[in-house]
Amino acid sequence: MSLYEDSALPVRADLEAAHQAQFDRFGQTGTWGSGAQRIAVISAARQAGIDAGVLEAPEDGGATSDVELPKVVRDIIAKVAVSPKDVDLDFYDAAIGSGLSDAEYTEIVGLVSFITNLDVFARGIGVPLRPLPEPQPGEPSRVRPPEAVQEQAFVPTIPNPPEGGEVAKAMYGPFKPYIMRAMSLVPEEFNDHIALERAQYLPLEKIMDFEFNHHDGLTRPQAEVVAGRVSALNDCFY
Amino acid sequence: MNPEALVRPELDIGVPHGDLLLVFAETIIGTDRAALDAARAALVDALGPEAIAGASAIAGNFTKNDRVANGLGIPVGPPVLQGTEELREQLGLNAYKSAENTFRHM
Repeated sequence: MSLYEDSALPVRADLEAAHQAQFDRFGQTGTWGSGAQRIAVISAARQAGIDAGVLEAPEDGGATSDVELPKVVRDIIAKVAVSPKDVDLDFYDAAIGSGLSDAEYTEIVGLVSFITNLDVFARGIGVPLRPLPEPQPGEPSRVRPPEAVQEQAFVPTIPNPPEGGEVAKAMYGPFKPYIMRAMSLVPEEFNDHIALERAQYLPLEKIMDFEFNHHDGLTRPQAEVVAGRVSALNDCFY
Repeated sequence: MNPEALVRPELDIGVPHGDLLLVFAETIIGTDRAALDAARAALVDALGPEAIAGASAIAGNFTKNDRVANGLGIPVGPPVLQGTEELREQLGLNAYKSAENTFRHM
């Protein structure tokens, strides 16, 4: 059964494939978190949305995890999942001061952002939240890119070329805006972020082509109305 | 497009069926499931069933990006900032807590 086979509304095949790939990724070993830890993070983020009333609990939520998350991680999940507008530098500094690394923080923010995205999509098309995948065995790679430096975000990032060198060229091409580079401290999460962006917003090379319509039935201005209103409601300055 | 309607949705946004899209965007991340279901049905009538996955994908994507941007504290770059002074003032964006991620570097 494909991911959105039960949807009464049509879903583009490439969009469905991108979402299936992301659900699979959730259960796989990450750069800093094990499969079980990642499913624990995602489950907690989803539960935060249910508790806040912005998601409906599914009959079949899929896999669970018996990993007990530290308080600092639970605090990050709760804030990013439900109230991202309240995250600030003090909050980040307190998380890092509690013993979490900047790269672990980045992976957690990515996971919470990605599951919130997929759950909002499911709610939008009117299907129950999709079951979470079983966690897969394996050890995190714990590879930190040496090219990542402290720029202007809370967390280090790999700069655009030429400062970011050959790695930046391979990851970004000539240039990527900060929103696309933001997760580059954890390249696996960066790749997931880009894949979702391409499927859900538009291919990045088309971003300045205002005549390009990526979504059936929606013009680019209509897509921007939805994007702008969601970001305004989230108090997102960026 | 009238961008002021993004923060004051009672205004005319100047895009075909923009009023329905504004309601859909608000309800998809809101707590009123019945209102979301009604907004979805209205969009199907106006734009066709194929538009719903697109609108949901956009809403989900920016739900993601807002969390990535605020959660990781990225700033808006100077070129964008310099070209949007009037718009940011008009929309009240400078009052957002996340604006500090940009202004603390100025």
